[in-house]
Amino acid sequence: MRALSIAATGMLAQQTNVEVVANNLANMNTTGFKQGRAEFQDLLYQNISVPGANSSDSGTVLPSGIQIGAGVRTASVYRVTTQGDLKNTSNPYDVAIQGPGFFRIQQPDGTDAYTRAGDFGLSPEGQLVTDQGYTVAPGIAIPTNALSVQINAQGQVSATVPGQTAPQVVGTLELTRFPNEGGLKAVGNNLFLETPSSGSPQSGVPGSAGYGTLQQGFLETSNVNAVEEITSLITAQRAYEMNSKVVTAADDMLQMTARLGG
Amino acid sequence: MDNALLISLSHQIASYRSMDVIANNLANVSTPAFQREEPTFQEYVTRVPPAEGQSGMQSLSFVQDAGVVRDISEGRMEHTGAQFDFAIHGKGFFTVQTPNGERYTRAGHFTLNDSGQLVTSNGDAVQGDGGPITITPDDGEVHIAQDGTVSGKNGQIGRIRVVDFQNPRALLKEGATLYNANGQSPVSADSFQLQTGMIETSNVEPVIEISHMIEVMRAYQATATLTQTQEDLMRQAIDKLGSMPS
Repeated sequence: MRALSIAATGMLAQQTNVEVVANNLANMNTTGFKQGRAEFQDLLYQNISVPGANSSDSGTVLPSGIQIGAGVRTASVYRVTTQGDLKNTSNPYDVAIQGPGFFRIQQPDGTDAYTRAGDFGLSPEGQLVTDQGYTVAPGIAIPTNALSVQINAQGQVSATVPGQTAPQVVGTLELTRFPNEGGLKAVGNNLFLETPSSGSPQSGVPGSAGYGTLQQGFLETSNVNAVEEITSLITAQRAYEMNSKVVTAADDMLQMTARLGG
Repeated sequence: MDNALLISLSHQIASYRSMDVIANNLANVSTPAFQREEPTFQEYVTRVPPAEGQSGMQSLSFVQDAGVVRDISEGRMEHTGAQFDFAIHGKGFFTVQTPNGERYTRAGHFTLNDSGQLVTSNGDAVQGDGGPITITPDDGEVHIAQDGTVSGKNGQIGRIRVVDFQNPRALLKEGATLYNANGQSPVSADSFQLQTGMIETSNVEPVIEISHMIEVMRAYQATATLTQTQEDLMRQAIDKLGSMPS
């Protein structure tokens, strides 16, 4: 009886679906979080008779064959990389990216990670760092006596120091883009790593062709839509329930079979 | 006497088959562009000699698989917002180059690969009118028209190829929501609209499947009872005949 195992694949798939929805809802207020979606595909088919096979010697063919599917599998959980809303925080070191691109972060082990969460701060040495204390590439040092810091749309960081009227440029933030940003690997802490499927990173100045612009004093919110998630949750729960009903029905049929010849 | 048992058996086998198909429909209720299936059965008529009191040859009919018919109606459109999610409204299939040759699908969740080619989630290239479609970051904001034309900042990049078939029901399902042309040659589709940021859901209607399931179960139960009765009759006959004084 295949129905049992087919329904089991259905239940597993819906379980994955609920897990993805749960993660989306849990990260509703995570800066720069991108909504995940589970994508499903049908499994292999067993061909019992192939459509188009000859049904007689005179050349008539079967209009439809008999193909029995084996259920469903999760093909991928992909990120929907649409822009999240920008939220005003008034913090001078909060930077939101409007458009494509990622900030490059230097991890303590020397490798690069990428993020869209621009909730930066300063290290004791005055370096611009993430909330984990990792340096934001290419490395920007803010003078310790700076009165105010401005970051413009093109990523230019300038600081006003006492005794000088004109702000001085202390560095430029860069953005990194990928041929396939969906292929980046999420490693938690809002960080992403390059993978063979993301393609190699290309860095550029914010605002130039193909890169987004920066917005100081704002953070990008997650692009999770609560209504959409709750709807998916209900659908997934009902689908799970229906698959479990198939298990029960298949079980009942097997039980009846076993009772035959009692 | 055995005929009743065998006819019941043929129905029981058919019920199991129906159950498998219903299970697969329900398992794929969230699979994009999955098309539901329904088994069809036919009579197989045999002639048996008349019993006492009957005249002429009598006919008995068994149940036999005739086929599994695919419902090719369009699923609902679900909004995902992803840039490379496409739904075909109308007739047609996307063309995908797999390692086993060209395959066709209506499930339009695509992404870019490391070289910027439009691919399915299994990494197979989606075909445009002139081969795979490559989108580079330099193309800026990509716009996809309803006829499948992909254009960027620097003009047209390509056109997503959408094909149709003379008899879409005769396509062979291969899993991973791909179809094999099964000998038919694709013709270019003209009556479709490509919706971006949308995915076609499966056309499985849970209510219908569940009611079919109940129907199948009850029918199976009835046949099982019939088989049981038949067996009781046989046992009684053996007992009665065996106890006859010699």
